[in-house]
Amino acid sequence: MNRTARRMLAAQGALLATGALALASHAEELDLFAWSEYVPQAVLEGFSEETGIQVNYESYASNEEMLAKLLSGAASYDLIQPSEYVIEALIKEKLLVPLDHAKLPNLKHIGQEYWSQPHDPKLVYSVPYMQGTVGIVVNTAKVKDPIRGYGDVFQDKYKGRIVILDDALEIVTWALAMQGLGPDQVSKANLEKVRPTLAKWLPLVKVYDSDSPKTALLGGDVDLGVVWSGEAALLIQEQPDKFAYVLPAEGAHMFIDNLAIPKGARHVEAAHRFIDYVLRPDVSRKISQDFPYTNPNLEARKLLSDAERANPASYPPGSPKLSTFRDIGPLGADVDKLFTDLKAKSGG
Amino acid sequence: MNRMRGLLATWTGFVFLFFYLPIAILVLYSFNQSKLNIVWTGFTLDWYAALARDSVLVRTLKNSLIVATATTAISVVLGTAGAWLLHRYRYRASGLLETLVFMPMIVPEVILGVSLLIFFVSIGLELGYTTIVISHVTFCFPFVMAAVQARLAGLDPALEEAALDLGATPLQAFTKVLVPYLMPAIVSGALMTFTLSLDELIVTYFTASARTRTLPLEIFGRVKKGLDPSLNAISTVFIAVTVLAVFATEALRRRNP
Amino acid sequence: MRQEATGFASAAAGSRRAPGRTGWWLLSPLLFWALAFVVAPAAIMLVYSFARRGTLGGVVLGFTLENYAGVVDPVYLQIVVRSIVYALLTTLLCLAAGYPVAYVIGRADPRWRNLLLMAVMVPFWTSFLIRTYAWVTILKSEGLLNSLLLQLRWISEPFEMLYTPGAVVLGLVYTFLPFMILPIYSSVEKLDGALIEAALDLGAGPLRAFSRVIVPLTSPGIAAGVLLVFVPSLGIYAVNDILGGGRIDMIGNIIENQFKGNARNWPFGAALGTALLVSFSLIYWLVNRRQRAAAQG
Repeated sequence: MNRTARRMLAAQGALLATGALALASHAEELDLFAWSEYVPQAVLEGFSEETGIQVNYESYASNEEMLAKLLSGAASYDLIQPSEYVIEALIKEKLLVPLDHAKLPNLKHIGQEYWSQPHDPKLVYSVPYMQGTVGIVVNTAKVKDPIRGYGDVFQDKYKGRIVILDDALEIVTWALAMQGLGPDQVSKANLEKVRPTLAKWLPLVKVYDSDSPKTALLGGDVDLGVVWSGEAALLIQEQPDKFAYVLPAEGAHMFIDNLAIPKGARHVEAAHRFIDYVLRPDVSRKISQDFPYTNPNLEARKLLSDAERANPASYPPGSPKLSTFRDIGPLGADVDKLFTDLKAKSGG
Repeated sequence: MNRMRGLLATWTGFVFLFFYLPIAILVLYSFNQSKLNIVWTGFTLDWYAALARDSVLVRTLKNSLIVATATTAISVVLGTAGAWLLHRYRYRASGLLETLVFMPMIVPEVILGVSLLIFFVSIGLELGYTTIVISHVTFCFPFVMAAVQARLAGLDPALEEAALDLGATPLQAFTKVLVPYLMPAIVSGALMTFTLSLDELIVTYFTASARTRTLPLEIFGRVKKGLDPSLNAISTVFIAVTVLAVFATEALRRRNP
Repeated sequence: MRQEATGFASAAAGSRRAPGRTGWWLLSPLLFWALAFVVAPAAIMLVYSFARRGTLGGVVLGFTLENYAGVVDPVYLQIVVRSIVYALLTTLLCLAAGYPVAYVIGRADPRWRNLLLMAVMVPFWTSFLIRTYAWVTILKSEGLLNSLLLQLRWISEPFEMLYTPGAVVLGLVYTFLPFMILPIYSSVEKLDGALIEAALDLGAGPLRAFSRVIVPLTSPGIAAGVLLVFVPSLGIYAVNDILGGGRIDMIGNIIENQFKGNARNWPFGAALGTALLVSFSLIYWLVNRRQRAAAQG
């Protein structure tokens, strides 16, 4: 064997050994698989200090990414953080472990309205982590007309000044709302019904961005946006006199991100302890500080500063028309195809 | 001719300006007061301080460096060996092998990531440094191989013959004649590999574990919250260290030629 | 010269020997790697491309051709064409812009060459995301470039640079230029100055010296550069997402959607990927075969 080949085998051997050594033992650990940056470092450290359980935090940037890795069976996770419509699908596929409420005394802090949502009534499998909405952000310095809903946003006079989420399902439900249909009424027939609306809307859009739509709004390239409430809240925090947040009158998406235990979890006990820890008002309050979404924990809300509670993106006033998403199963492919087609045709 | 040379040099300068403009912005904004990294609001060193406290970010940078170095080492060996063997010997499967080797370059990263993940799961290989390095090498070493092949294409076979005639063993001919000749291509391939591996995102997502999180994964994770300037700070620190290291090695090299 | 003109095929005929046992032995690590980490995962993808979509987006093994039917759907073909156009444009621009730089570095004083190469690569050791967002800062309506142009009074209103196809091409060229410069550099580096001098002495103008002498001699580097820019740029998804405002979908984005987006349709993603892979592998293999035949002929 020549030197090259020998060196290569040695290198590979060394690497494999390193990999093997890097694997710690499995005692007292928690494998957390959550949205990036959705669990502040301070919270993780606080939990580890109190309980001695080491948290391994792996993150993802979308529900589907999480599913991809979860379904591949590559690693076992103790906690995942899916949105409400994914919880519904996971429950249907029997991939979640029922929660033992006796181990979650802090669960009582969760507001009443979260105990009767269609995706997991009675919170058997999941616990709400953060709630938010998808609504309209207006640059009031540039847009003087009143904006009350999708109809006001998608007007020809705002052509090229709009940013919206790069999310086919979201956009389709907005179009459905224009026709008085809810997110639970996604069907092939209804998709065809909203095709003309979308064909009219998409050419008006300048930017599609689900990761950081605030960039376009801050950069001055767009004046209106239909974005996550957390993004809006950050914008309002940054420049309070410039940006306003409005929940569309036709109906808005309320999303709930939850903690749940997937089947195959190795540390179910530790998972319960973590959930209960996060439900503590003072801990939950810390999460709100970093993530100005709507906190489902009513006791934690009491601990927030006045400025935080006054942020209309985090805690919208009034009683707007909100609905959660449902699992649409195979229609996801049709929704995506419709969006891809219209996006491509609207010029780019 | 001198005018031509002047023009070329000017163009090169312009291209370097093009390369470094975003870097200059990046470095500048590492001192930006606003955490939202899009508008300039004032000067501060806070983010460098935050970096010192941010053990997660530093750890991921370390992981990235480990992976990139290992990947480069293996890719250089595999790529150079592959290019040379295919050049020297007339394998029947040459064309097929080359096509196979270059396939990972064509495959979109998502597919490469998912298929490698499924493969690792099915053979029971647990995710970690090994799996990340394997996936990186798989799509990086074709770059080395292409660069070395291009260089070999112009190799005068008489060179090697001459060395052998003068009494060198095949191994000596390889190391003392061929490798120095191939050095520019190897260096260029190694640089490409190191760069690709350092900034690799998608494939790494699928083949990494929580413990072996790399810097690009960490940075991408923070996009939603807003790419705060501590990320600029770590990039700036990294560039500064690299540039210093490069100058140091050059200085040393000149002192002992 | 014709042998030199191939990037793929190797040396002149005659110096290539039959492998024998040593030859195959030495090749075994490469073979193993190709089989384990290229063929096996590709086979998995192939199997998936014929599978059915599971409820959560994963695969239900079986056999169906519906995914491939989707691949040739005009909705997706329009995006394939667009991706090819952008990739071609990027490659051409990188070639035009990068060749002079590679030439300058390759012919530079040997003391400076490696430093110059590092100087080319160092910017790309920063995070891709941060670099690209830096371009956003530069190109946006209230950004640096517009502010500069407004101050110089060259324009009276901000010029829309960001979220356009132009911005995407700029980002692509920025991303791939080093991968054109490096291979060409290594070809330029071995140019014999004497040959160029001779051509010039014999009366050739710089342009002719360039096209008749320099280009053919550096063509392996050019070919490698073209390969290393064109092919990967077909799979891009992030540059156009950020700089194009998410309006300019490419094949990479479509495939991403199937695995990481609403579509949740792995089999379709696998079919798209396999189709892409097979098309280009075929083209590459055919071109390669012709080059080899030419080299040995």
